Amino acid sequence: MTVVDAGQPTRVLVVEDDASMAELVQEELADEGYVVQVVYSGADALTAIANDAPDVVVLDINMPGKDGIETLNDIAGERGDLPVILHTAYSAYKDNYMTWSAVEYVVKSAAGGFRELKDAVAKAVKVGE
Amino acid sequence: MPHPLDDMLVMILAGGQGARLAPLTKDRAKPATPFAGSHRIIDFALSNCLNSGLTRVVLLTQYRSTSLHRHIQAGWSGFFVPALGQFIDLVPPQQRTHAMWYLGTADAIYQNIYLLERERPRHVLILGGDHVYKMDYAEMLDGHVETGAVLTVGCIETPRDEATRFGVMRVDTDMRIRAFREKPADPDPVPGKPDRALASMGFYIFDTEALVKALIADARADTARDFGKNIIPDLVAAEAPVYAHPFHEPGAPDRSYWRDIGTLDSLYDANMDLIQSDPPFDMYGDDWPIRTYYQPLPPARVVNAGGHTARIENVLLSPGVQIRGAVVRNSVLSPNVVVEPGAVVEDSLLFNDVRVESGARVSRAIVDKLVRVPAGDAIGSAFSEGASRFSTTESGIVVLPKAMVLS
Repeated sequence: MTVVDAGQPTRVLVVEDDASMAELVQEELADEGYVVQVVYSGADALTAIANDAPDVVVLDINMPGKDGIETLNDIAGERGDLPVILHTAYSAYKDNYMTWSAVEYVVKSAAGGFRELKDAVAKAVKVGE
Repeated sequence: MPHPLDDMLVMILAGGQGARLAPLTKDRAKPATPFAGSHRIIDFALSNCLNSGLTRVVLLTQYRSTSLHRHIQAGWSGFFVPALGQFIDLVPPQQRTHAMWYLGTADAIYQNIYLLERERPRHVLILGGDHVYKMDYAEMLDGHVETGAVLTVGCIETPRDEATRFGVMRVDTDMRIRAFREKPADPDPVPGKPDRALASMGFYIFDTEALVKALIADARADTARDFGKNIIPDLVAAEAPVYAHPFHEPGAPDRSYWRDIGTLDSLYDANMDLIQSDPPFDMYGDDWPIRTYYQPLPPARVVNAGGHTARIENVLLSPGVQIRGAVVRNSVLSPNVVVEPGAVVEDSLLFNDVRVESGARVSRAIVDKLVRVPAGDAIGSAFSEGASRFSTTESGIVVLPKAMVLS
């Protein structure tokens, strides 16, 4: 797992093709003190992971082009130690073996200011420490 | 609910490089190596699957798989009926998660988790493609379901001092595995038998979910990506229900012939087992047919010729073989081998289309496909002129590579 330096803010990469959803998530996670970077496609996510070394990835599944499952698979090959949280409107993918390499699976819900997602990110960061 | 047998996917690891079978594996994958004259090593695992009622089979290939592909297409595809949901698929590395060859046995399955997602089997049987044995996997699956195991490991009793070559398990009296070590210097003994140990035969039945979770956890850690070194010991250490299934031949609780064809000498010895008058391994009988691809060839013929009487003694003769006025003893001959008048072949394996010309002698040799032994030549470490020309195995068997030209 990623080792997070206690002195550095945790960097979260949000991969989300829906711009308004991306903005919401970015704001909510920034409120928690994370440094949040947003990209809008799976391909850009891989570039960002290579260049910007995020500590945690929040990954949508239904995206045009390279979808979240394929992106997750690519991340596992490139950076097997990087915790990925799947963040999707659908619960159905939860049984798909291809999603099991994600550390958390969170169904999108704005309840409590994305409480469940925030908890998942906090947990992923803690595991990484 | 489908029957458990119909809900098990077979994944055969057919990608081993087979370096210790070189030069026979220079152009072919290890499982495609000829065996018993007419067969290939892979035929045993595949026959076991078919005879056990398992008809969803994936072969994970890797190196030099052309001859393996051809053999499966020609000999095996016809046994699997797609309309009934049956298949035998050859899957080369997709390099989905990294652009490399498989890092280990566990990586080979991990890289193909998408196949498990596509098929969604309840259980997965993972087999090697380089063992000679007869086994009913259905019985092993019954045991797996009865014990509530997440993993069942096929095992065989061996003398303790020989077990250092294998994965060795320590078990309770109910065969639950309590420790598993790969190639240990001091193998754990079998309960009540201090000079025996339980060795892994390298095949496993997993609950699919437990398999996927174990593979993903392993892929995140710094490991050898190996079932014997990592996946099994880790599951045992986590106190998951992992059981051993003692091997015996179908319908014969007291017979347990099993050979790992890892070296040229083991290939030679296992072939020689078949020509004993009372062979330790029986390929005959209708109850457990060992199938293969049979070329449409005429019967083997043994005839007097050129003033020489043909004589054969303790041999396996494949279709299309012609022994014309020659002597062949203690040997295994693959299809279309020709031995000409006055030649003598002893204690040897001759692969397809080998021709031994008039008066030539071949002794204690493995001769790969298409080699022509010229008239009057002498092949084998017994002959002074044959000693240094060819590579030899530890036990002194001479090996002639495919299509080698002898002058």
